[in-house]
Amino acid sequence: MSDKPPVNQKQEPSSTRPQNQSLTRRYEAARDRSKATRSAAYARFRKAVRKDLEPVTSRWRTFRGKIEDNRKWAYPLIGLILITIAALLPFLGDWFSIPIWLQRATNGSVLARTALFVLFALGLNVVVGFAGLLDLGYVAFWAIGAYTAGIATGAHAYLEGGSVGPEPTWHMWMWAILLLALVVATLAGLLLGSPTLRLRGDYLAIVTLGFGEIIRIVANNLDHVTGGPRGIRNIPHPEIHVGGLNVVWGTLIDTKYYWLLLGLVVLWIVAIRMLDNSRIGRAWVAIREDEVAAASMGVNIVRMKLAAFAIGACTAGVGGVIYAEQINFISPPTFNIQQSILILAMVVIGGMGSIGGAIVGASAVVLIPEVFKSLDDYRFFAFGFAIVLMMIFRPQGLLPSKRRKAELVGASQDQQLYEAAGGSG
Amino acid sequence: MDCLHNVADQFWDQLRNGLTLGSIYAMIALGYTMVYGVLQLINFAHSEVFMVSTFTTLYAVRDWFNVTAPITGGKLLMVMVGALIPAMIISGVLAVLLERLAYRPLRRRGAPRLSFLISAIGASLFIQYLFVLMDGLHYIGPIKLPAIAGPNPQAVPELFKTSTVFHLFGTDITNKRIMIVVAAGVMLFILDRFVRLTRLGRGIRAVAQDPEAASMMGVNIDKVIVTTFFVGGIMAGAAGFFYTIVPGAPAFWFVGFLPGIKAFAAAVLGGIGNIRGAMLGGLLLGVVETQSSACFGTQWVNVTAFVVLVLVLLFKPTGILGEQVAS
Repeated sequence: MSDKPPVNQKQEPSSTRPQNQSLTRRYEAARDRSKATRSAAYARFRKAVRKDLEPVTSRWRTFRGKIEDNRKWAYPLIGLILITIAALLPFLGDWFSIPIWLQRATNGSVLARTALFVLFALGLNVVVGFAGLLDLGYVAFWAIGAYTAGIATGAHAYLEGGSVGPEPTWHMWMWAILLLALVVATLAGLLLGSPTLRLRGDYLAIVTLGFGEIIRIVANNLDHVTGGPRGIRNIPHPEIHVGGLNVVWGTLIDTKYYWLLLGLVVLWIVAIRMLDNSRIGRAWVAIREDEVAAASMGVNIVRMKLAAFAIGACTAGVGGVIYAEQINFISPPTFNIQQSILILAMVVIGGMGSIGGAIVGASAVVLIPEVFKSLDDYRFFAFGFAIVLMMIFRPQGLLPSKRRKAELVGASQDQQLYEAAGGSG
Repeated sequence: MDCLHNVADQFWDQLRNGLTLGSIYAMIALGYTMVYGVLQLINFAHSEVFMVSTFTTLYAVRDWFNVTAPITGGKLLMVMVGALIPAMIISGVLAVLLERLAYRPLRRRGAPRLSFLISAIGASLFIQYLFVLMDGLHYIGPIKLPAIAGPNPQAVPELFKTSTVFHLFGTDITNKRIMIVVAAGVMLFILDRFVRLTRLGRGIRAVAQDPEAASMMGVNIDKVIVTTFFVGGIMAGAAGFFYTIVPGAPAFWFVGFLPGIKAFAAAVLGGIGNIRGAMLGGLLLGVVETQSSACFGTQWVNVTAFVVLVLVLLFKPTGILGEQVAS
């Protein structure tokens, strides 16, 4: 399981007898020299920039320090401000005159889609970022959630066999179905995870990759349960009628879906933060860094991995229900492998193990093609490329978590890990 | 009852189909198993190396040799060699490029295994969609991508006519199937000899057993890794060529995905890192898949490999012939 030690076959270029040097050797020496000059110039540049920005950074540091000192009320306050801003985003176009691209990005259905993928990214981040397990079939749990909604409401029987059945009217019960899907997706996660998580970590990647495809094939083949390739239509929209409170969610473009999803996202962020700072979160860190050491300290590895896997699965299940209720029609081709990798790209680009990173990554991956419509065709191409680039040049992501950065970047690892541990308390 | 009846009815037919398909899986599985042996990496982009080979075949057959109708004799031989060799070389070079660009920078840094897997899946998506975009309408910066692929499958022209050579147990053995099984057998034999007998092959086995000790004994690890990727790429290239002949697969950007997963399942079935295991696993998986498609119906055929994979992982994770991986 241990990583290979870096093997360096290059020899020091000898300056004594240049006439005997081979062409390759000379090329390598020249390359090393230019690399050294370049990195020295870059270091000088960074130093100069840092010096010029010193007044700003020092002020920022004192501000950060103040927040840290009063984190008890400062953190919730900042959270509330951010939530308010996020909740008011759909009104941006009504209140201010904003450019067309920003109007596109703050449109109700686009925001709802962003929030949905933020939710998925948060869920996958628990699996990939916190527990260090690679799930390449995340879309399967999304599909399970969506199909649970479709089947439990009886929407699949509507229009069956050409004769129109009773129209599904489970509007009030959609909340119960949310819980049902949560349970079903969790069970599916446990069912898939319990045999595979015991094995070598990377087998999980290929098993989940296969599982994602299987769920799609099953949805396609089980005609009488899932509607087959025709999919399920007329999935009811949710409604609330409690006392005097009446809220009815409408069609796809209803901005209320965005607020619903935003609420879920906030709930999830709070829950995941609590988990991360709990015994379970510490166990995940221990497993990620050294499984053998973690096991010998009494961490139940399989159970902790299963927990992460199940939490990821149930998040996707919940998102899947809201997706089905909003779009009101589901069919197998939606749940393809590319979606799984796209969600992975969100986590990787944002920063594995970082909640802020998942939000930033998901927003970027959803909104960039939405804002620049002409780039839509290049979406998967560009994000596939971005994944590789991130792994090579910035494995910690755009908005890294301190601890994960130290693990992923690698150089002088122990020192950084020590600092990260000290820094985060 | 339907199941048993169908299996009994079509047993020899499906066995024949399974062996043909299985020899193609075996060739792809070799690439997975060898790379896993030396790097402990599931090279997800290997299925794209295979996919690119279907395009090379298409272009060689359709555009270089202008084949439209089935041909015979000397010309057939020339076209076969003229398509197979470029398909193998281009795929081999692509596999080496992948190693250079997507994995070596991570290896140099000593990155965790998760990074390699993520880089691999990213590279896979990148290559797939590069082929989707190559429809002559898209640009990358100022460069217009050539119209060589695009989002739709393109049929590869039939090289030669199918004819029955002999009957065995009431089933027709056609010339195409014989060719594939024989060619695959020869290649697998050569590869096996290469890995067992040559200096470089010994290096590959040494790195798979213990990279640290191997490098201390003077094995050039980079060279071994490049060779491994190249050989795996060559085999995937050949597999892609044959895949367009017997299942008659089109050149298509997504054609590599399912054979890729199945070939990895075959590698695990035979014992990951084990070259003979990959051959055995490929053949076995091909047969299991075709027999079960007779049993459960063809719409479930793609589920079989996955179920086999999970069952093997549950009950015998080291595979049939045992895994050979540095731990």
